[in-house]
Amino acid sequence: MTAMAPHGDRSDAAEEATAAQLEKRPISTVVIIIAMQTEALPLVDRFQLIEDRDSLFPKGVPWVRYHGIYKDLNINLIWPGKDPTLGVDSVGTISASLVAYASISALQPDLIINAGTAGGFKAKGASISDVFLASEVAFHDRRIPIPVFDLYGVGLRQAFPTPNLLKELNLKAGKLSTGDSLDMSPQDEASIVANDATVKDMEGAAVAYVADMLKVPAIFVKAVTDIVDGEKPTAEEFLQNLAAVTAALGESVTQVIDFISGKCLSEL
Amino acid sequence: MAPPRGDASAAAEEAMLAQLEKRPVCTILIIIAMQTEALPVVNKFQLVEDPNTVFPEGVPWVRYHGVYKDLNINLIWPGKDPSLGVDSVGTVSASLVTYASIQALQPDLIINAGTAGGFKAKGACIGDVFLASEVAFHDRRIPIPVFDLYGVGLRQALSTPSLVKDLNLKVGKLSTGDSLDMSPQDEATIIANDATVKDMEGAAVAYVADLLKVPAIFVKAVTDLVDGDKPTADEFLQNLATVTAALNETVSQVVNFVNGKCLSEL
Repeated sequence: MTAMAPHGDRSDAAEEATAAQLEKRPISTVVIIIAMQTEALPLVDRFQLIEDRDSLFPKGVPWVRYHGIYKDLNINLIWPGKDPTLGVDSVGTISASLVAYASISALQPDLIINAGTAGGFKAKGASISDVFLASEVAFHDRRIPIPVFDLYGVGLRQAFPTPNLLKELNLKAGKLSTGDSLDMSPQDEASIVANDATVKDMEGAAVAYVADMLKVPAIFVKAVTDIVDGEKPTAEEFLQNLAAVTAALGESVTQVIDFISGKCLSEL
Repeated sequence: MAPPRGDASAAAEEAMLAQLEKRPVCTILIIIAMQTEALPVVNKFQLVEDPNTVFPEGVPWVRYHGVYKDLNINLIWPGKDPSLGVDSVGTVSASLVTYASIQALQPDLIINAGTAGGFKAKGACIGDVFLASEVAFHDRRIPIPVFDLYGVGLRQALSTPSLVKDLNLKVGKLSTGDSLDMSPQDEATIIANDATVKDMEGAAVAYVADLLKVPAIFVKAVTDLVDGDKPTADEFLQNLATVTAALNETVSQVVNFVNGKCLSEL
């Protein structure tokens, strides 16, 4: 089952009709993209997923797929793995876009869930351990001051609308801004404010870009580890809260999966 | 080219790579971000557009290909953004096309070619064409030990001393970021990277090439002086067409030099 349009001369109307039909079949295959091992393992345990040894992915890439069946869903959890040279989690937009591309190509999921930790802005109502569902995502560190290229750089995209999910799980909604730095320069801050973001991460907008290109619906679940506009330095606050907030993230993602099981996209 | 699956030890893998380096380069992959930069090269080598047989439906990426002397040339342009219609510049597109092209084409060598900003303080002039000695990112700041190095992503280009000497190419360090402009933080990192040229794709291509163990070189032509008086966007747009011609000339010389040689002869 794929959201990708077949080869041929399909008109836009026909393509929309196909997509509409797909939205009426129950979701079958889900890809969950999680950048850090600390964030991923609680969910691997929770859904009793198994690491894939006969990898879908080419030799040399550190990406790890965990998979299993849970209720009515084929769950695939993709972690980009540890950097082969340096041994740290392969965080950031490049790894995220690569695993999104590779896993969509290999697994043809009905839905992508990008889950992870994020910074939050208290001025926008975020608190430590809050879990947000992104309404939209954008980049804040790709500044190209040429008309239209500027919009391309920002890469604003809407998350797949899930009003029932939001209401049923009582999740907070907010705009997500993505960049490859953990810290925040004044230029980044200006873009984040222009993006009207409540949460700030390092992968979301990249996953959104690939999902959009391949026409797979995507949602973004982000748990707040640090207050960006607070007093504590980001790196310290993030490291301090990572383990505890990861538990909150795991709980929310579990609830999201439970909600999705047995439903069509249009019921979300 | 990726070593075969199986239980090859590291020593066996190295031996295999050494052998591969002794066969002539056969298939090359040229990655170029902008159509303006790509088309002169397409015309020069009389490459033909592939009606999308190697990439999935929906991606804007374009492959041009052809045989030139002893080489299979594949030129990949990430295409125009489907929503906005501008060239798909930057690190995300570059990494995606590099990944997808290596998977599909298994090249012996990658050439990432394009325009760049140059630093006059490091000896760059408009129209110069540089071969990168190494590449790094300047806009991925992660102030946690080891993550900081990961963010910078410093990598060496394939060593090509004969190519540099024969073509009399300027050599310099390349720094990559997703912005055309340069914030003070970016500038500080670029200086720490000791870069002579600044682009928007190189380090991303290097990352993927390294993951999949394909040698890569980076050919960058200077359209604007970052530490000069003119605003970057204006200077870049003004010089794009003429500098693209200089880029094309150098890429052509590089391809001709590579033809018939093994990696170890470069």
